[in-house]
Amino acid sequence: MDKVVVLLRKAPYGRVYTAEAFRTIMGIAVFELDICVVFMDDGVFALVKNQDPEKLDMKPLGDGFPMLKDFNVNRFVVHDKSMADRGLSADNLVLDVEVANSAQIAEIFDTYKKVLPF
Amino acid sequence: MLYTINNASIGTNNLESLSQVCPKNSPILFFEDGVYACKSNTALADKVLVLLEDHPVYALLEDVKARGIEPLIEGVKTVDYSGFVELVEGHDVVPWLRN
Repeated sequence: MDKVVVLLRKAPYGRVYTAEAFRTIMGIAVFELDICVVFMDDGVFALVKNQDPEKLDMKPLGDGFPMLKDFNVNRFVVHDKSMADRGLSADNLVLDVEVANSAQIAEIFDTYKKVLPF
Repeated sequence: MLYTINNASIGTNNLESLSQVCPKNSPILFFEDGVYACKSNTALADKVLVLLEDHPVYALLEDVKARGIEPLIEGVKTVDYSGFVELVEGHDVVPWLRN
């Protein structure tokens, strides 16, 4: 089975990247690829609980990620330092994630070979 | 002058450059992704605490709620859209914009 990393590095609102990453994950999942979703830098903000963007006339982007398990997307990895720098821990996130350090994330890139950046 | 800042991502120097320019007592309003800087316990929190010593600091409530940011740094006041408009009515604006 082909493997691919979807890498999110931007904050969720104000630009299309997070929503497009989500759409891409859904699209790839249909082809039963082995997907690993990696959150780094401001990308970790996509998973914060209790997002309420009603006044921005948007849907909470964080709510979609737990649903991806229904599409057999099961591997979600969050960079430890990106979380710590932003005052977040795994408890603050909308789903259970694998917390990884920089070297471990590099290993994931190495294993999966293909990285789609958002 | 009212300084408005829409982005202060860690790894950029947008907040630092604003701090260098913004005169004492000028109000600073964080909006859009800029509100992340007002979250407590982040790598930026110390920089915002320094700003609070010399400036009224505001965060736009709608952007704070959208992003699930809590708790805010103590001393940062939230304003809603109408409060934003009032601030803009009362001041000329220096937009510290970063895309």
